[in-house]
Amino acid sequence: MNALTFRHEAMATFFEIAIADQPADYARQAATAAWRELDRLESELSRYVESSDIARANRLAHGETIAIGEDALECLLIAAEMSLATRRAFDAAYASEGVGDGPPFTLDPSEHALTSRAERLHLDLGAIGKGYALDRLAAVLAEWKISSASLNSGGSTVLALAAPAGEPGWLVGLGEGAARREFPLAHGALSGSGLAVKGAHLIDPRSGAVAARTERAWALASTAAVADALSTAFFVWTDGEVAAYCAEQVDIGAALASAGGELVRLGALKNLGNRD
Amino acid sequence: MSAPSTPLTRRDFLANSAKLGAFVAAAPYIARGADAAAKTDQLNVALIGCGEQGAVLLNAALKIPNIRFKAICDIWPYRRTYGERLLKKFGHDAKPYEDYREVLSSHPELDAVIIATPDFKHSEHTVAALKAGKHVYCEKLMSNTVEGARAMVLAARETKKLLQLGHQRRSNPRYLHARDKIVRDAKLLGRVTNISGQWHRAVTDDFGFPVGQGIAEAKLNQYGFANMHEFRNWRWFKRYAGGPMSDLGAHQIDVYNWMLGANPRLCLASGGVDYYKTHEWYDNAIAVFEYPTQEGIVRATYEVLTTTSAGGGYHEYFMGDLGALKISENPKYTKLYREARAPEWDEFAKKGIIASPLSGEGAPAPVKPWEKQGVKKLAAPSNATVDVRETAALSAWEIPVTLDKAIHQPHLENFFDAVRNGTPLNCPGESAFATAVTILKINESIAAQKALTFAPGDFTA
Repeated sequence: MNALTFRHEAMATFFEIAIADQPADYARQAATAAWRELDRLESELSRYVESSDIARANRLAHGETIAIGEDALECLLIAAEMSLATRRAFDAAYASEGVGDGPPFTLDPSEHALTSRAERLHLDLGAIGKGYALDRLAAVLAEWKISSASLNSGGSTVLALAAPAGEPGWLVGLGEGAARREFPLAHGALSGSGLAVKGAHLIDPRSGAVAARTERAWALASTAAVADALSTAFFVWTDGEVAAYCAEQVDIGAALASAGGELVRLGALKNLGNRD
Repeated sequence: MSAPSTPLTRRDFLANSAKLGAFVAAAPYIARGADAAAKTDQLNVALIGCGEQGAVLLNAALKIPNIRFKAICDIWPYRRTYGERLLKKFGHDAKPYEDYREVLSSHPELDAVIIATPDFKHSEHTVAALKAGKHVYCEKLMSNTVEGARAMVLAARETKKLLQLGHQRRSNPRYLHARDKIVRDAKLLGRVTNISGQWHRAVTDDFGFPVGQGIAEAKLNQYGFANMHEFRNWRWFKRYAGGPMSDLGAHQIDVYNWMLGANPRLCLASGGVDYYKTHEWYDNAIAVFEYPTQEGIVRATYEVLTTTSAGGGYHEYFMGDLGALKISENPKYTKLYREARAPEWDEFAKKGIIASPLSGEGAPAPVKPWEKQGVKKLAAPSNATVDVRETAALSAWEIPVTLDKAIHQPHLENFFDAVRNGTPLNCPGESAFATAVTILKINESIAAQKALTFAPGDFTA
């Protein structure tokens, strides 16, 4: 395969872009454009950047409204959608305090406005922002007429665009040990959630308690933002809840590692990665 | 607390059908903002130059109430389209233009023009906009020539229109607090004797452009550019700009002048095209200044390195005999230090002028009781009471001010406030001119390989 890989640090991790079937200089320039976009996105979406829309939102009093940028709005709309779709197994505002019956924040898309509905809003796009960024970087590559590329954030979310010439896709892996599977991925995103890298724990937003699952969970979706959010939800959910969700969403796939070293594959991942 | 929100109806969503799907799926999260501003006192604005910096200003301006973009101008359709699309998403029906002259002739309703074109066009675009009766916010550096900068000041004076230059730190509430409260009122630095400053940036690749998005060379020539490479990387070429000292150093050396309320009398600089093969401007440069102030001479150094990110990013460091202020647009590089000989600063912390690093945002989590370090007993005569104190306060302090907006937003707001209400500009043409003179002298000193002096009159347009 004729692919070049570029790396950049942002959002407290590293991002990589592999570009196939392009002259080296052109691929590098496209990657440079993508990294500029990534740095801009971090300045809008990171809660650690004091002037970002998310940090500003987290300083709001109940009922206060601020104007936010296009990317914060889009990412929060997807986050809101995913929170509802997963019945808060994913919730970018789960740590908010003093929330009433409704959501912890509301959005007014026509005004690009966000209003806090919490005594202390605590937005954290850590489980969706990097995926959202990958989708935006893919849009930059599309502007550069680069169709065959693979992008990942810290190795935890991979967004595969079209396959390199002559290949069925970009090789991705999931599962552990003997249950590990590799398969070619194109036009889709795979995201994994687990405890290995951070070494800490994931909170179940519904209860505020530490999630019961200890082994990794993966989500397959058409966009990286959705895959990113879903992998967190899958980690929080029971196997049964994940299976029920995948049964309803035909484009979604799930893979769940078990403590016994097995890999349960569901939905759109069910038939992917068979060793034969 | 604000009034309760009114849920949007499905019909409201149809106003923006492109997002309909997302809206429906996220419906419980959709509600009118409490502060949906009344559309009064609207200012009509145009953006000339929608490159990377133009987009930064555009995104910041879109967060300011009652600013309405009527026109957007760029010679590159690729960037013009970006701006047009973004403005549409915010409900602005801005007309796109290639030639700024058409913007000025077609939009008599414009109150102000924001200019973010390459430096060598600032003077032409600003003077034309001022003479067309528009107030102007223009990006720094004011111009790549002293003559160009002077023409801008004279045009503002002649037309009696406002001219604000984009040295946005001057409107940053943390910088304003540092200068006005910490340095001038409380005099926590004592007599300032030295300044150092830097911007260290890792190696970056040249910019390219997407296939099919190139501009024909004849058109580039028409607008003063030699070719696409120079058009995309204009900051590195002498006919368009002043290089890294102008792009990065101008922000920080402007803060030197602004903080001291003085201009330098001498500049000695060294630099070169040490690393890059495709650039004209000095990629690494170091300058030394002497500032005469009412309290005495201040010696300052500044370095801009574009080949390494080592050495602590970007900041300005004001050092006095009682304390030091290290300040940056990035709060993680910002700190105050008290000299051991200086009086205690606790009273200033009580007044909210400074903050202890043990409290406030960004402070470490409180230490658990069982984690507290044991108290060290002081050696003391056996007949004396051991004066057991809590651990001595750190000498590092914080500035208790948060920039709660997009970085460029306060400076744009200051400009719009000036247009509406006559609020004084934070960076009017006259003082930005002094900064431009200071910056351009650095490159002159590097080329001459010797120290150059300023006459006081040099800083007046």
